[in-house]
Amino acid sequence: MELNIYHLYPDVLNLYGDRGNVLCMQRRLEWRGIQANVVNVPIGEKFTAKDCDLIFIGGGQDFEQAVLLDDLKGAKTAELKAAIEDGVPVLAICGGYQMLGQYYKTWDGQQCDFTGALDLYTVGSEQRMIGNYMFTCEEAGCNIVGFENHSGKTYLGSGVRPLGKILEGYGNNGEDGTEGARYKNVFASYSHGCLLPKNPKLADLLLKTALERKYGEAVLPPLADEFETAAHNYMEARLSRK
Amino acid sequence: MTAVLACKLCRTLIRLLGRGGTDFPGRVALKLCPNLLGELAKNVTTVIVTGTNGKTTTSRMIEQSWQDAGISYFANKSGANLLSGVTAEFAVHSSLTGRCRYSHALIEADEAALKFISKYVDAKVIVFTNVFRDQLDRYGEVTHTLEKLRIGAQNSPNAVLCLNADDSLITSLHDDVPNPVLFYGVNTPIYETRVTEVSDAPYCIRCKSEYEYDFVTYGHLGGYRCPHCGYARPKPDICVCKVVLSDEEHSEVVFRDGETEIPATVNLPGGYNIYNACAAMAAAKAMGLELSKAAQSLSRFACGFGRMEKFEINGTDVRMILIKNPAGCNQVLSFLTQRKEPFVFAACLNDRTQDGRDVSWIWDVSFERLVDMGDTLSEVYLSGTRAEDMALRFLYAGFPKEKLHVQKDYGRLMEQATAHKLPVFVMPTYTAMLALRGTISKTYGYKQFWE
Repeated sequence: MELNIYHLYPDVLNLYGDRGNVLCMQRRLEWRGIQANVVNVPIGEKFTAKDCDLIFIGGGQDFEQAVLLDDLKGAKTAELKAAIEDGVPVLAICGGYQMLGQYYKTWDGQQCDFTGALDLYTVGSEQRMIGNYMFTCEEAGCNIVGFENHSGKTYLGSGVRPLGKILEGYGNNGEDGTEGARYKNVFASYSHGCLLPKNPKLADLLLKTALERKYGEAVLPPLADEFETAAHNYMEARLSRK
Repeated sequence: MTAVLACKLCRTLIRLLGRGGTDFPGRVALKLCPNLLGELAKNVTTVIVTGTNGKTTTSRMIEQSWQDAGISYFANKSGANLLSGVTAEFAVHSSLTGRCRYSHALIEADEAALKFISKYVDAKVIVFTNVFRDQLDRYGEVTHTLEKLRIGAQNSPNAVLCLNADDSLITSLHDDVPNPVLFYGVNTPIYETRVTEVSDAPYCIRCKSEYEYDFVTYGHLGGYRCPHCGYARPKPDICVCKVVLSDEEHSEVVFRDGETEIPATVNLPGGYNIYNACAAMAAAKAMGLELSKAAQSLSRFACGFGRMEKFEINGTDVRMILIKNPAGCNQVLSFLTQRKEPFVFAACLNDRTQDGRDVSWIWDVSFERLVDMGDTLSEVYLSGTRAEDMALRFLYAGFPKEKLHVQKDYGRLMEQATAHKLPVFVMPTYTAMLALRGTISKTYGYKQFWE
């Protein structure tokens, strides 16, 4: 068995250590004897989703956003949307999450159009939502811990559901208690930290989804996960004490 | 000057209590007299060093050159580099009537604090080291940091700006100010082998086209040029034209000032310290010091706390190297991976405000390079409040579990790490460094940091 993991824009969407998610998926596959092929799709490179089993998109700096949006519009957006509709699992973090939505409106009213792959939008606020945070995730069957750092407030439309419910911190907008978004096999979240290594159940859920889509059936043998659990439990305990 | 008195009293009290109070006394003084710093710094010739990485080491190098030139000065050595801390430093070095006891001040300024400090201090020289991603929860992205530095430069009409020619972000500070500028840079690659790192500034600061590079020294530093608008690395006024040797103890380099070549030994290892040395030489040039003499000072300066600082513990050499961000940490790894002799490694990760509350950045550091060293890296210890996250990072880098040891107690950490009778390299974040130094001074009799 093997999975082809496509990392979109590793050249500009590479802030906050989010590439650790790719490394995490790669290792957790390798430890189980499954081959992982990571394909980088930087600016200027054509994106063909035909052989793609899993897509990762991270967050980036505002400075390069214009360059990126220029590259993303047109063919790449169409390919990405088709892949999502086709059920390709996607993990999108922070800026990458926002970009899957319809638009970003700055606090002074300027609108920047995004891919529109997901029924959600983001509005900039002057308050920055920063800190360690925690949310429940029924599908993963556990609490998820991470670090959020965003000024955009994301609001979900009726076509998507949240990834989880906030226990500590802000989440999507600091108002409705939701965090992240789920649509088909898209998992989107504000969580850096980075997300997957210390939330191994969520990591395995993503991998299992991708393997099942490709091979019909997939059993992921359990891993020891002592280091993963220790890092998870440390932050879970710290945030529970608050 | 009640404020000066209050400031001095506070600091004495805090030190009597046995704590290194570097910030609080200044805050008290500023409450009593908001323009205190302006008054105190009025007649003092001040040189400021700022930027993301290398502030402290560059300052120590400049300090040595001042000592050797017989300049009467004080420096903010204890890491108090915010407005309040700098105010406190000026206050304690002044008489009760507010007259400074020294003609010169050497001030290390936090990159976000420069714009405040420069409102009160009319600097003669400002040295800008570099801008890298650092503590994103505090500073935001690199262009935000750059804007803060730009305001600092604009507040300082009388300062000569020493700019790192190899940093496309820093060089752009020249665009908006009429100040005299002195560019410094390294004309040659500094590492024999260099791994590709994430560039913090791949696109032109003026027109957002992708840069082309003639050579890269590290990170986004090097010989950049924009093929679209022509923005490019300026020719440095003073440069390192040759790296003769760079080993575990020091570097031998040749500086060039116009037509004159000046050989020098930098008594700290690591390619990034070659940059710091070059920045110090630029400061010397801006001050009109004799450059051959300033070059000699580089061979005997005392390094700052935790900057490659050396201890002997249980008969074992321990080197402490402060880490703050991916760029700096990757530089330390470039230094470590040159080693051929076995060693023990310890990383101490804290997540307090001064360390950066977000520890995500450790996933941007190429720790995989340490795995490639095989058994030369004998054991790895992980410590600090976020030790578990660091252990996880090392596990996913590819280390076998048996090599990874989590030890959150600093006393036991030093005992265990030195028990292998191999040299130990400790990489702590800022508050972990202070705590670790505290443990070391208490247990093994080394000096406290504010002494």
